[in-house]
Amino acid sequence: MTGARGWKGGKGTTRSVASLSAAAVLCSLALVDAQTLTQRGFADGSIFVFPQQAPNDLTRVVGDLLLRDEVFVKPAPWLQFAAGIDLRANSHDQVEDAWRIDLADRSILRPRAAVRRLSATFTRGPLTIDAGKQFIRWGKTDIVTPTDRFAPRDFLNVVDTELLPVSGVRGAVQAGAETFEGVWLPRFTPSRLPLFTQRWTAVPADAASVPLVDAGGALPDGSQAGVRWAHVGAGFEYSLSFFDGFNYLPNIDVDVRPAPLRVELTRSYPAIRTYGADAAVPTRWFTVKGEAAYFTSSSAAADEYVLYVVQLERQTGEWVIVGGYAGEAVTTRRSTLVFAPDRGLTRSIVARASYTIDPTQSIAFEGAVRQNADGVYAKAEYSQARGQHWRTTISGVAIGGRADDFLGQYRRNSHLKASLRYSF
Amino acid sequence: MSDGRTGQAGRAGCVCLPLALTVLIASFDVRAADNARQIVEEAQKRTDAKSQRYEGLLQVFDAKGKISDKRWSFERLGSHGQSKAVLRFTAPAEVKGVALLVVNHPDRASDQWMWTPAIERDRRIALQDRSTRFFGTDFSFEDLEERDVDQYDYTLLADETVDGAACWRIQSTPRQTKSSQYTRSIVWIRKDTYALARIENYSKDDVVRRLNYADIRSVQGIWTARQLEMTDVKRGSRTRLTLDKLEYNVALKDEDFTLQAIRRQ
Repeated sequence: MTGARGWKGGKGTTRSVASLSAAAVLCSLALVDAQTLTQRGFADGSIFVFPQQAPNDLTRVVGDLLLRDEVFVKPAPWLQFAAGIDLRANSHDQVEDAWRIDLADRSILRPRAAVRRLSATFTRGPLTIDAGKQFIRWGKTDIVTPTDRFAPRDFLNVVDTELLPVSGVRGAVQAGAETFEGVWLPRFTPSRLPLFTQRWTAVPADAASVPLVDAGGALPDGSQAGVRWAHVGAGFEYSLSFFDGFNYLPNIDVDVRPAPLRVELTRSYPAIRTYGADAAVPTRWFTVKGEAAYFTSSSAAADEYVLYVVQLERQTGEWVIVGGYAGEAVTTRRSTLVFAPDRGLTRSIVARASYTIDPTQSIAFEGAVRQNADGVYAKAEYSQARGQHWRTTISGVAIGGRADDFLGQYRRNSHLKASLRYSF
Repeated sequence: MSDGRTGQAGRAGCVCLPLALTVLIASFDVRAADNARQIVEEAQKRTDAKSQRYEGLLQVFDAKGKISDKRWSFERLGSHGQSKAVLRFTAPAEVKGVALLVVNHPDRASDQWMWTPAIERDRRIALQDRSTRFFGTDFSFEDLEERDVDQYDYTLLADETVDGAACWRIQSTPRQTKSSQYTRSIVWIRKDTYALARIENYSKDDVVRRLNYADIRSVQGIWTARQLEMTDVKRGSRTRLTLDKLEYNVALKDEDFTLQAIRRQ
């Protein structure tokens, strides 16, 4: 068994992290003269314990540290600037060694320091323009988000993902009940994949001795664009969207090389167009949410398919309950190997429930079951706040199933997680 | 006549928005208030303002006396059934930026959306979910609405004293066109100021929430309750909302009360 290795950076890292954060805040404060300034951030330390070894990863305890700070400045009623930075450390080589400020979010490892947000928002009447590095979310569902095409994720832990920001321009006009939105991204941001040498890249036990080598990614140069029309009615809402760009989830090209035997994996991101729709309709008992997108591609190596999800939501008493079904219909099958958690979770029933015990404590349960029962995922979480700043969260994740199922392949990755967060 | 320091203010009938409703003391011919509807109309009229802004401190006391504090900033444009409001948490740090947009309507329940910065998404609060507690407080989402006098029917029940002040005791019943978790409400309105003193909200025959108003002061000529305390009768918990930096008729723009606007931090 291999335990957690020491935090990279040690005392020097801690000092640098604190200095950088302080510098960012002080710079912002210095620029602000009686302007509206808001700030939020947190320091989060987590420990993951995996009871089972994975064939390609002997490490069973992983420590992770994240310091995040975001500042928002509003020098005029029509103008707002936003800036945010993430500083990271990890005990299991999931963070780059080099100290650099990463703007692109294109690296295989998480950057030590990454710009999370750097944008300006202009508002004039019904028009809002966001320019810069930002987060753009489309769609209404949670369990799978077919129309959310500007929201790449960090999949280093496949069942505990985080959104990545994108760089570009978003314009929105809200005219009464209608909102028209246009997005243009000059530069592509891919999702961050599980590391090929770690447990979230599942490999068969008898192939664990063959090294998987990341041969890099063929990142597309072109820009991406999308438009969306959303209507808010009395008690219901819906939207239609169109996206022309690249899939932030890659096709994987596999090349087996002899002497020494190794497998080289190359990522490519096919051009896609999606035609999407989403809706939310409250009924007497539940809010029914639906979202679907038709994915087409000019690439000879990308499937064409419809991804859809139907989800029910209800809050009652202290409970928040969400459940739904995600499905897929492939119209043209072309690709061989893809990393596509969104498609991997299709033909599944997914449910989530959270219960607020009191103002400081809550519990949550989450589960997914493939309809053929080949894969099962379950999570339980307890969270408690202490005072105005501290929160402790303990969770357990159980994963089971067959090796050839998207969920089942991670059956050795059941784990416990404990995290302590200080929000400021 | 109120001395302007003590007394109660609050919701008119079940004309909700306990967070925003205020009462103006002015000379008023009591004879005009012979029936319940006129009383409520007058109470609503005296709270009219083009806009309102305050910073609120929320203190949640559970049944064991444990306290948790939250703070929010509140801005409202318009009054009563024609208003829009944005409520944004400023503390504790972990909920900073969470915002609620409430768009009130004269003839039906409000539309509400919550913006959660951690997931960069807004979510509509469905009508059937409005009876749930708002962010761990004893206010429900419905209690954050501001409704028009025309959405209820009123019955004058009796004259009673609340905290030493003579009050009208009025029953308000939601009209069928309106959806509410409450089957009826009993409202106490002070005779001297037309300020609301207390509201008891019923589900069938049981009181489920009780709202008390205190610390009334004149702000720009509008008498305003600076402290509101909501009690969840079944849970035995209560939430005290204290208003600070309260202003009326501040310059607010319509475009600051949209789904696009609540995304801005």
